Amino acid sequence: MPVTFTFGEMLSARSVIGTTLAELGETHDNLWVLTPDIGATLVEFRDKYPERFLDVGLAEQACVGIAAGLAYDGNIPVVSGMLPFLSMRALEQIRTDVCYPNLPVKIIGTHGGLVGNGGSTHYAVEDLALMCALTNMTVTSVGDPNMVGEVLRQSMSMPGPIYIRLAVGKKDKVLYAEGEHDVRIGKGIVARDGTDATIFTHGTTVAQALDAAEELAADGRSVRVVDMFTLKPIDEALIAQCADETGGKFVVLEDHLAYGGLASRIADVVADRGIRLNGFERLGIPQVYAGFGDDEELRDKHGYGLAATVAATRRVIAQPSWPTSH
Amino acid sequence: MAELEERAYELRAKLLHLCGTYEGAVHIGGDLSAADIFTALFHYGLDVDPGDISNPRRDRFLLSKGHAAVCMYIAMSMRGFFSYEGIVETYGKLDSAYGMHPCKVQLPGVEASTGSLGHGLPLAVGMALSARHRGETHRVVCLLGDGETGEGSVWEAAMAARSNELGNLVAFVDRNRQLMTSFAEERVAFEPYPDKWRAFGWNVVEADGHDMASLVAAIDGLPAAQSDRPTVVICETVKGKGVDFMEHNLAWHAGSLGAADLERALAALESTRKKETV
Repeated sequence: MPVTFTFGEMLSARSVIGTTLAELGETHDNLWVLTPDIGATLVEFRDKYPERFLDVGLAEQACVGIAAGLAYDGNIPVVSGMLPFLSMRALEQIRTDVCYPNLPVKIIGTHGGLVGNGGSTHYAVEDLALMCALTNMTVTSVGDPNMVGEVLRQSMSMPGPIYIRLAVGKKDKVLYAEGEHDVRIGKGIVARDGTDATIFTHGTTVAQALDAAEELAADGRSVRVVDMFTLKPIDEALIAQCADETGGKFVVLEDHLAYGGLASRIADVVADRGIRLNGFERLGIPQVYAGFGDDEELRDKHGYGLAATVAATRRVIAQPSWPTSH
Repeated sequence: MAELEERAYELRAKLLHLCGTYEGAVHIGGDLSAADIFTALFHYGLDVDPGDISNPRRDRFLLSKGHAAVCMYIAMSMRGFFSYEGIVETYGKLDSAYGMHPCKVQLPGVEASTGSLGHGLPLAVGMALSARHRGETHRVVCLLGDGETGEGSVWEAAMAARSNELGNLVAFVDRNRQLMTSFAEERVAFEPYPDKWRAFGWNVVEADGHDMASLVAAIDGLPAAQSDRPTVVICETVKGKGVDFMEHNLAWHAGSLGAADLERALAALESTRKKETV
């Protein structure tokens, strides 16, 4: 059943997962959905295909191992849960049981970044660094709730594993109008064009980057925002293009440790390809275990909120500009 | 029965030859403890066909104690899956399909890539679930070491198997009572070991892992694959079994034999064979 959404509205990414999986279950009779006791999202699939739904209870390691066993037998398993636990408690199962034999297991979940006010046990802030380190793993972080459905649909034909990171996933800002962008795994999205600097971001902070660009536009600054929702493989061509077209001035904003996530992925591309930059600032979580507070408060406290994003972008724009051809 | 017993000795001799020619470490202790189980499975219990390794109706075998890979390779070679010479000549060398832990990518005849302990049983649960869903009646058989059942993931999988009534799943435990660096009960209170599995709702069978008749009886007595309780066959074994200086000896968890020690080991094996087959 197609569902239409209106741009700018809030929407639950979790409900999109539920709808999409139920839809995909119809066309893919080998699609299984597994969860370690995080099932509210999956009710639609569970009720429609109870024989292909498995809630193992609180057992993330077995959940991923069982998914791998299903995949060895020709199935396409989706493991859905809270990412702090899937990405760390089941890390070795993801690496050894899923990535090593390159099985088509999809890991999708919530609580990417300082969201949900659960405290540091419940924040996934290292997950992208861990997942990007795994051979064969495709790594995504999705902000626009509608994109979750699109990414899931595209992932059905991928031979290997994929990691799909959401924020809380209960109430997310619809960023893009339907059909506005050609969403393709492995390609970044130019969410807003601009020429003075590029803010690269992913997931829940795309909306914040767009707000920062809007604020800077009031000063006559033209800031590009790139939704780099695929961190691995990363869109190297787009990074090079942004260096050329936005004065070699980069800000990387992410709800993840400032080192190890997207900023590090981009820094690797810049170094490996010999791209000349005129400014590079990374905004993300410093080496702290953050306390309680809502996501906006925590971002402000830890130096990567809206004000910090605007200030960092001003700083890179103020850097002297040298030719960036490479 | 006598034929299976002879095969188990042949398997042990082949293991020792490999251990005598390969310079790196071979997990000979845990290979020898599992040799009778591998023989009973690959030459009697498992419905597999080396000429049709992808047949969807084949029984699946998963080696959770992945460090016993070489014993599995040789048992499979004796069943016709691979050539023994190919194993001995290339083992552990660059680009070989055969090494310390099994890799399905390199060796399609094995069912899964394993080696890190505590991973086999969850994989087996997934395969057994899939078989159930497809209405297939083959079994999924997983061989675990007793030491690796210290891993929590084993018990997560044990719960999942019972919860999903997977009577098509069978675990064999090589209960050799030795870890790498200690005798198991000195470090970890595994006992009462069968009761632990019973408490998880499994059908528990106790067998002598070095008595072929006991292993065959356990296999013959397995409930139908359509039944609703997974079965564990706990096989009492001896690490290093068959070679007197390796038995119950912590030094022989893994190692390699020089030419002189190979002769000594083969002589010890022959002596055990004569004693036990009288």
